[in-house]
Amino acid sequence: MFAVEARGLTKRFGEFTAVDHIDLLVESGRIFGLLGPNGAGKTTTIRMITGLLKPTEGYVRVYGMDVLKNRRSVLRMIGYMPQRSSLYDDLTVEENLYLYTMLYDFSRQEAKRRTEELLKEFFLDKFRDRLVGNLSGGMKRRLALAITLVHDPKLLILDEPTVGVDPPLRRQFWERFRQLVSKGKTILVTTHYMDEAENCDEIALISHGRMIASGTPEAIKRRAFGGELIEVLLDREPPCDPPEFAKIISVNGRKVRLLVDDYGGRSAQLMDFLRERGFKILEMRPVRVSLEDAFIRLMGERS
Amino acid sequence: MRLIAIIDKELKQLIRDPKTIVMVLLMPIFLTILFGYGYSGRSKFPVAILNEDRGGCGYELVRKLINSEDFDVEYYVRTFDEGVELVKEGDVYATLVIPSDFTECLLVGKSTYVQVIYDASSPTVAQSIMQLVGVIVLKYQEWASSRFGTFSIKPTFYSVYGPTVTRIENFMPPLMGTLLQLVPTSLISVSICRERERGTFEQFIMTPVSHFEVILGKFVAYFVATISDAVLTIATAAILFNVQFRGSLLAILLLSSIFLASSLALGLLLSVLSKNQLQAYQASIFVFVPAMLFSGMFVPVRLLSNVAEVIAYAMPIYYYIDAYKAVAMKGLPLSVVTSDVVVIVAFTAAFFLASMRMLKLRVE
Repeated sequence: MFAVEARGLTKRFGEFTAVDHIDLLVESGRIFGLLGPNGAGKTTTIRMITGLLKPTEGYVRVYGMDVLKNRRSVLRMIGYMPQRSSLYDDLTVEENLYLYTMLYDFSRQEAKRRTEELLKEFFLDKFRDRLVGNLSGGMKRRLALAITLVHDPKLLILDEPTVGVDPPLRRQFWERFRQLVSKGKTILVTTHYMDEAENCDEIALISHGRMIASGTPEAIKRRAFGGELIEVLLDREPPCDPPEFAKIISVNGRKVRLLVDDYGGRSAQLMDFLRERGFKILEMRPVRVSLEDAFIRLMGERS
Repeated sequence: MRLIAIIDKELKQLIRDPKTIVMVLLMPIFLTILFGYGYSGRSKFPVAILNEDRGGCGYELVRKLINSEDFDVEYYVRTFDEGVELVKEGDVYATLVIPSDFTECLLVGKSTYVQVIYDASSPTVAQSIMQLVGVIVLKYQEWASSRFGTFSIKPTFYSVYGPTVTRIENFMPPLMGTLLQLVPTSLISVSICRERERGTFEQFIMTPVSHFEVILGKFVAYFVATISDAVLTIATAAILFNVQFRGSLLAILLLSSIFLASSLALGLLLSVLSKNQLQAYQASIFVFVPAMLFSGMFVPVRLLSNVAEVIAYAMPIYYYIDAYKAVAMKGLPLSVVTSDVVVIVAFTAAFFLASMRMLKLRVE
């Protein structure tokens, strides 16, 4: 069973189609990243998955249950962190946490205990009596994440959790995501930071409301370029014709970038090919393609 | 329990919002003072004079009354019946009668009297008038006896039952109606749209809260916060303007809470229907204006046009003012206004159910 199963998800606002027939399958126990530039339709997709927005077409199931029809049971399985800060600014850190524990039907005593637990776990203990309106952005995000965990949900849906968060805290967040997944939780996270997305087990790229690609980050990169890139530094200017299994992507003096279907298999072949032609290979390495490169290329292909 | 958690949260937010203090604490005091001075007009008691005396001594007493700081001589009447009529109609609080042999008696050193026709339906006012007349007459007696020899002038009193309301009390129904309509409705009308606007709703409705809990939680919290409006208004009116309540305070408060509940339920409905806070405010003012105009506060509903009359009957405030007059001003028991109460409760239930139905636990 999938943690999230969305089929043909579509949302139209009047003439405008914000999300256009997106299928998403999130396997349990993974970090699934929904990736795309601002305005791509990430938040609309997320809101449909949480059941906060009714899709124009399509349906969403969370652990096999329809999010609209089985609302109550679904809500208990989801921990949701909206993109916009949605904490009560005029309540203190502790009051916010306590409110949410109470809303999830904890008894007064249990709620107190759970609140304490989360305050400690998220290092918010010292700021417990501070009004949320007076917290820094990073602390607000930390509290928001703590709130999503109040009822120990199986599925975390986090909409841009690291926006406005400084790099050290961002790293902490991702470490925590990994930790949560190792404890059996599933995370569906949106981001427009491509470097973050590399940490996902699986990603879906969306742009203008459509799904462009999905799979593991490596698979997506491979698909974007139709293979892997090798960079070779030679002792002299290269010849014009490449071997039939490689394609020249760029030549920069004695530095050549070639595209092959598989780095492991083809690198030896390429070495042989070059030696036969009397080249000396000074250096040879796989090129680390960033997701950003892949994304830009994939976007380019479509338009 | 979820409901208690919601009420607790709403109350905390209300207490921390400076707007609440203004609306709930200052508004009743401010409006009571405004209405109080506006309706009572002056601090002097309006009185009429019936001077049957043709001599100079009677005229001298009238001059003393005109110059007094406590009385405003509004009418001079010719007959005793006219004097009684003015008090009965509520045009004046009292008519002072100077007998025809007033000067004559004084000049020969004989005792005489001054008669006060007063409105017995408002005891405190009557008492003040009796005291004040007593003081003036006593002073006059001292002055006159030093000139004409020893004698006494005795005030005598004649009680008349005037209209059940006095001028100062008259401002209470519109004041209570205005406050208990305006403050709760406008305060609660933004409660849901504000959460939508600030984004807090998006997280809140991802918990297993039900429509009923959201609506009732806000309702109870705002009820607790705004009930002080009624209490403060009554207290301010009683302390500053010496307003008398003939009915039991408990009955008045109970009646006012029922009306308060209907205003809150209406406000919740507006909040559910509005897209943002501005719209909600506008809607509550839009509802408030006809409530002010057509509820019988200023013009009796019978004198309104047919359309306005229909509008009046379609608003809970009309029934509240009707019931308030009966309970607070005539001192009738609550059982007399059962039909009014039933209508207000029905309105409340309708608004409440409508807001529950119209509330969307979504973000669109």
